[in-house]
Amino acid sequence: MIIFGLVVAAGLSCLSLLYVSAQDNALSDTQVSKIKSNCISTKNTLNQLHTSDALLRVNRGQIYELIQTKLMDKFNERLASNKLGGENFKTITTNYGTALDGFRQDYKLYEEQLSSAIAIDCDVHPIAFYDAIKSARTQREAVYADIKYLNQFIDQYQSVLSQFDKDYKAASKGVSR
Amino acid sequence: MALQKIKNRFLALTRCKFAVMIALAIIVSIILVIISLTIYRNSGAVQLDLSRPGYIDVRDKATVSDADFHNFSSTGEVNQKVIDEFRALFVKQVKKVESADAFGGDPLNPKSLGIDADEANPSQ
Repeated sequence: MIIFGLVVAAGLSCLSLLYVSAQDNALSDTQVSKIKSNCISTKNTLNQLHTSDALLRVNRGQIYELIQTKLMDKFNERLASNKLGGENFKTITTNYGTALDGFRQDYKLYEEQLSSAIAIDCDVHPIAFYDAIKSARTQREAVYADIKYLNQFIDQYQSVLSQFDKDYKAASKGVSR
Repeated sequence: MALQKIKNRFLALTRCKFAVMIALAIIVSIILVIISLTIYRNSGAVQLDLSRPGYIDVRDKATVSDADFHNFSSTGEVNQKVIDEFRALFVKQVKKVESADAFGGDPLNPKSLGIDADEANPSQ
């Protein structure tokens, strides 16, 4: 009985999802004609965005990667070799690395989605074009979330560094006394 | 009988060794190109490659050198001077990251692209 109930609930939720997505895909005739008439200008905007985001990905990705490999990793190693602990630093660096992988992956998906949107002939397939842009928008939001996430870990690392600095100063004063 | 046939074919092939070698070299190179292009696409390297056509305008704006990144040494003692030095290096790079809101905004919003639903169709 419980299984039957679960199956019915799953079926109903699937139907409601299909209904919602069908509603999402329904574009008015005016909107379709708007997409068709703005086709060239929209494609130009998408192409510009594609190019500027590629540059942003290269430059930003490089800074994020170098912060990890040339600063965080090196400082963690130095703390470890001096037996000063630094477990907090290591945890944040590991999480930062995972977030950086997520950024790379999400950007790849976003770029592929945007490229496929650009490849669609909006004069012939306006609805497919609109849907592709919608998906690319969602993917771009994911990339932005990754950036926020990375910045959060950088802030965390900075605050742990400040605390470490304070503790070190306090310990040094204690030794000198 | 079948063995003899294979043997004869092999002998015929050995007679035109040069042609076989060329054909094999072409096949091997095609396979290697397919493999390398697959890796190039799947690894995400294609997204970082600004030498592709269409990126001419932004190519020279890409950061090609990491000379700005002072390499912090992973060896040596840790003292107040080292901590201060690391902190200064870290803050310098963090400022770069915080200077611009990368991937912020909403350029793919249908409204900003001019493909949003009409005022006349509020149901959209």
